This record gives sequence, C-alpha cells and structure tokens, in this order.
Amino acid sequence: MNKTKLVFFMFIILCCFGALFLPQAMAVDAKYDLSTLPDMSEFDPDNPVNPEGDKIKIALVAAFSGPGAASGHVFYLYTSWAAYDINKRGGILVDGKRKKIQIIKADNQSRPDITKKVTERMILKEKVDILWGSQMSHLTRIVAQLAKRYKKIHINATSLSDSLMEGKNFSKYSFMTSYSTQQIGRAAAYYYGQIRKKEKKFYIICQDYVFGRSMAKAFKEGLKEYYPEAELVGEDYHRIFLTDFAPYLTKVKASGAEVIFTGDWMPDSINLLKQSRQMGIMLPFANVFINDPISLKEIGIENGKGLVIISPAGTGNPIFKNEEFIKYHKSWNDLWKNKWKEPYNTTRFKHILGNPAMYGYSIYWAMSVIERAGTLEPDKIIKTWEGDSYQMPNGKIVSMRSCDHKTIADLHAYEYVAPKDQKQCYNIPPYYFFDGTVGAGPVSEIPAEKILPKADPKLCK
Amino acid sequence: MDATTAMYVSQGMHGVAYGMVLFLLASGLTLILGMMGVFNLAHTCFFMLSAYFGYQTIHWTGSYWLALLVAPILTALFGILMERFLLKKVHAYGPIAELILTLGVSMIILDGVKVVWGTQSLPLSPPQSMQGLVDIMGLQYPVYRLFLIVLSLFLLLVMSIILYKTRLGMVVRAAVSDAEMVNALGINVPLVFMTVFGIGTWMAGVAGVAIAPILTVSPGLSHQMGMDAFIVVIVGGFGSLGGAFLVSLICGLLSSYGIQFFPQYAAILIFVFMAVVLTIKPEGLFGEKES
Repeated sequence: MNKTKLVFFMFIILCCFGALFLPQAMAVDAKYDLSTLPDMSEFDPDNPVNPEGDKIKIALVAAFSGPGAASGHVFYLYTSWAAYDINKRGGILVDGKRKKIQIIKADNQSRPDITKKVTERMILKEKVDILWGSQMSHLTRIVAQLAKRYKKIHINATSLSDSLMEGKNFSKYSFMTSYSTQQIGRAAAYYYGQIRKKEKKFYIICQDYVFGRSMAKAFKEGLKEYYPEAELVGEDYHRIFLTDFAPYLTKVKASGAEVIFTGDWMPDSINLLKQSRQMGIMLPFANVFINDPISLKEIGIENGKGLVIISPAGTGNPIFKNEEFIKYHKSWNDLWKNKWKEPYNTTRFKHILGNPAMYGYSIYWAMSVIERAGTLEPDKIIKTWEGDSYQMPNGKIVSMRSCDHKTIADLHAYEYVAPKDQKQCYNIPPYYFFDGTVGAGPVSEIPAEKILPKADPKLCK
Repeated sequence: MDATTAMYVSQGMHGVAYGMVLFLLASGLTLILGMMGVFNLAHTCFFMLSAYFGYQTIHWTGSYWLALLVAPILTALFGILMERFLLKKVHAYGPIAELILTLGVSMIILDGVKVVWGTQSLPLSPPQSMQGLVDIMGLQYPVYRLFLIVLSLFLLLVMSIILYKTRLGMVVRAAVSDAEMVNALGINVPLVFMTVFGIGTWMAGVAGVAIAPILTVSPGLSHQMGMDAFIVVIVGGFGSLGGAFLVSLICGLLSSYGIQFFPQYAAILIFVFMAVVLTIKPEGLFGEKES
C-alpha cells in the first residue's frame, strides 16, 4: 500500500469513527431557522394583529388578572412573539393550507373553577386547536384533564411537577416542554457533587406544597446519588407568601449549612434571600427562581454573588454563539427599548433569554411538530412529537420522551457574578445582563442522561 | 452568649419583632371594629396601599423617613374619605352592608395598585442608618428589626395615652358606649368616628411602610399578614388595644418557636391557639360579653 493510499484509507476510517461518535446534539429532527428571521419591527404585544383566513388557535390559559397576573404578561409576550415570527414567515403548512397562529388570552385568575370554565369556553366556543398552560400544577392538571376529554393537544411549558405526567394524571394529549422538579433537584445535587465539589453541608428551604416538597425530594435523591458524602443539615417547609423568614434563617445559621437549596418562587424566593442578607447570612443559594433583575438590583451586587441558578435554557458559555442569534436577540431588544409600552418595556423583559424565552420556544417546537405532522389531527401530532428532537433558536436541543411526554435536555448551573465578570456568558456589548445587578457568569453543563426526569414505571417500561 | 442560647434568644426576638408589626396592623383594625362596629375588610389593603405610597415616596425623594411620615398620612386620608363618603352612607343598613362595602373597596384598592404600579414585586430597602447588625451581648441582630420593635412600642404608648389619658380618648370611649348621649352633649359624634377611622388606617399605613423593607411591595402583601391580623383582633377581643398587643406577641412567639421546635406544625399553631381561646372565652381574651 503506497503512502497516498494509506492516508486515504486512514481518512476514511476517521470519517467512519466521526460519524459513529457524532454528538447526539447534532442529530435533531428539526430546528428553528435563524437564517430566515423575518422583520419583527412591527411586533407589538399591546396591539396584536389577528391573522385572517385559516388559522391555528392557541388558548393561553394563564392569570391575566388577580394575584398571579404578572406571570400572564410574561407568557403572553414570549408566546405571541413566537406566533408573530411564524406568521411573518407565512404560517405553517397544515392539511395542504398555510395557516397562521392566533394566541388567545384565557384568563384563569389563578383559580381552579375559573380555569375549568375558561378552558372549556376556549374549546367549545373559541374552537381552539391547542391549549397552552397553566401557571401552577393544580391548574395545569385541570387544563390537561380538559385537553384529554376534548382531545386537544396541550402544551405544558410552565408547571414543573413530575406527577403531572405520571400515573392517572398522564394524558397522551399533554406534552411537558419545561424541565421538571426531578431534573432541577438532581441537577443541583449533581452540580455540587460532581462538578463543584466544595460545599458539603446543605439546608433545604422550600414552600410547603406539592411543588416545594417534590423539589426537596429530588434534591435529596440527587445528593444520595451524586454526592453521598454531603450532609443535609436541615430542611424546612414554609407556607406560601410567608412574611417572616427570620426563624427559619436562624435555624440555618445554627446548623452550619454551607448552601441553602430552595425551590421558592417569587415573592418568597427574593424575600428569603433579602432577609438572609439583612441577618448577615451570606450563604449561597442554589435555586431556580431568584433571577428577577429589579429585586436583585436592590439586593446589591455583593449580596447576590454566589447564587447558583439551575436553568433550562442554557447552552453553555457564551450565550451568543453566532451572528444570527445576536440578530434574533437584537430584534427583540430594540423593540423593548424603543417600541413597547408598560409592562413590556420594563427591565424584566429586556432579553429573550432564560426561562421566559423557553415559553416562546415551546410554541416554535409545537408548530414545527404540527407542520411535520401535516395535520391538526391530535393522534398524528402525538405520533410526530413522541421521540422528536428539536433545536431552539438559542441552539439548545430538547427531545420529547415518548413514554411519558417529558422533555429531556441538558441543564446548566449558572453562578451569579458581578456585571464585570458576566462577559464570559453575555458576550456582546454591554457585556452584562443588567446594569448594577448580579447575573450569570461561569456555567456548568449537567448532561441530560445524568438527570433524566422521573419515569413512571407503568408508562416507561 | 453561647451559640445555642443565641439561637433561642434570636428566635424570641424575631417573634417579638413580627408580633409588633402584627400589632401595628391589627391595632387599627381592632380600634375601628371595637369603636365603630365596622369589620373593615379593606384594612389590610390600606396596609398594602401605604407600602406602595412608601415605595413611591422613596422612589421620588430617596428618603425612607419621609416615606414613613407621608405614606401613612396619605393612607389615612383615603380611609377618612372612605368613611365620610361611603361607610357613613351605608351605616344605616347594618353590618352586612358595611362588610360588603369594605370588601368592594378592598377590591378597588387591589386592582388600583395593579393599574398604577403593575403586578410585579417592587423592592424597598431599609434606610442606610438602619442597615447592618447590632451586637447584643454577643448576639448579632438586624438593626432594622430592633427599630420595628421600638417603633411599635412607641406607638402603643402614644395610642394608650391618647385613648386613656386625653379628652379625645374619653370622648371616643364614651361615643362607643352611648353615641346618642354623647351627641346630645353637643359632641360631633360622626367627626369622632371619622377620626377613629383615620387613626386606624394611619396605623395600618405605618405598618405597611415599616414592613416593606423586609419584604417586597406587591399586591399580595395584603394577604400575607391579613389572616394573622384578623386572628389577633378576634382572639384579643374586639376593640381591645391591650388584647391586640398581647395576642400579637403570642402569635409572633408561637410562630418563631413553633418553627424552631415543631416546624411541621408551625403553620397551624396560631389557629390552634385561636380555637383554644375562643372555646374558653368566645368574646376573646379581653373582649366584653355582649349584654
């Protein structure tokens, strides 16, 4: 064999090995096409343009009034952005026709009775094709039950409880595009046990209801699995919307804990952090929801350093990996700066990144599935979505587990740092997320296979 | 002080601090209920409204102290307007009409703040001089929480002096006992009631601005302490400042020591306490039996 033949032969072998060991990430069924981003300059959440002609109606079941109304605005902004984007591209081809998307607000006022009423009205009167929501597990369960009864596809991008997709709660019509409590809890444990390997004493403080307890349980299971030498020095469950965290924090202080793990959401999460700092407790918090820029600004940079947030939207550093995604983000950010009115022009909506972005991405994914199914028939959509993998605009790859419709994805643990240190993550000017606020800096990837969501053995054999 | 003792003393102080803020809120409620017979469901919304006024004042002027002065006065003005133009008109229709009216006002306030300030939580910090920790015999305790205790005790003292040592207090107590007789003596009873209502909402206002720096200002604020405040009023006895003070303290201590020793039952201890007291003394600890 002469030298040229040998080199050629080696090249062929290398190619074969390359193909064999191609990262799984590369193998996706579909992806968001950043290269054809339309002109989004006319998008205005306050003046939605209802598409004419054939359309796909999506009911956004969320709170738009009452105590939880803030969440409704977030869901609406990000999902209607995605709908506008798809419509500007001409909609999606279904049953031989191009159909545009209409997002309809279905205000559930955070109440179970209203959730049932408004969801049924959406199905029977508005004749929606898809149900999206809702903001809490018990409300999502109602939407899922109605989706099952009326055979409508249901997207759950917001409620994180594993139990929603298990046992009797499982419905083939519902798809959980968010991460789950199991993944979050175990991801936090994996981060501390397998990546960081510094702190060993943990204290759990969670809200006293299904979600809080599930988060704590998952974290404890994760510690057993990935950090057996860790010590759980205390755990407490407080009522939702608690006023005074000082008694809990006094226990934390006395316990010698090195990290507080919490699944609390706002306002409890920020009140817990705020009161701990006021009491001189500077421990890091491993958390999910302490990311509100306005509250973090008030906490101050020194007090916010060391927070660790488990994110479903991460892709590793830096965030902006290509010019097309920069353009995508800029088109959002320009509108936020120059066009939108309150509440959409407030600091919280500055970026199309992180958890909120995933709400919009769930629409991209679902519509991509429907277009590939070529029909609005639920059974065909289900068949297409099961086992499907999709690449989001930020490059994140997600896949839908067939047996229980839970999303499998890598998660990321972000350590919060001062603005000057955020460039490693936010790699475009001004090189930080928010002025005067801690934000994501160093990132660690937690591989999907290490934190697979809990599987119901009856569903996933 | 060793670590264990420090922990128990800390818990006691947290209980007192929370109890004192609860007293500030509940004292206005019990005054209005005891003196005027109005179960003001909007009271906790006034508390929340004042926190928003405080936030806005700080936003504009940067001064927490000005906020503590201005916001409760503004809140009291709202309370006075409500009493003068709404409550007074439905008074003749009895307590149910008053109850429904105050519920309606609470909804208006709740939705009003959302329109003006939005639904997101707004941050508010303690003033610079009240930040940090103070050393009490080796125990590090937040300065601002100490301030809450002192402020509440001061207001209790002032209210007690006004109510029991001044002519105004005497008139108020007399008007509660027999409004017609007091009216016949040439005293403007409606004005007295309006003043009581104003003072009651002012105290809720003080509580709102006082608590805001340890929480965030949001529409949910009214629910966060509302239930505890109503328990204090019922268990303490309608109209009893002393009862409100004692029960607030007990609730605060039950909460903090409950979390320390029986964390799984901490949330229900206050309700158990209420049930026990009302079973033994249905009119509340310091309430008077209706003749």
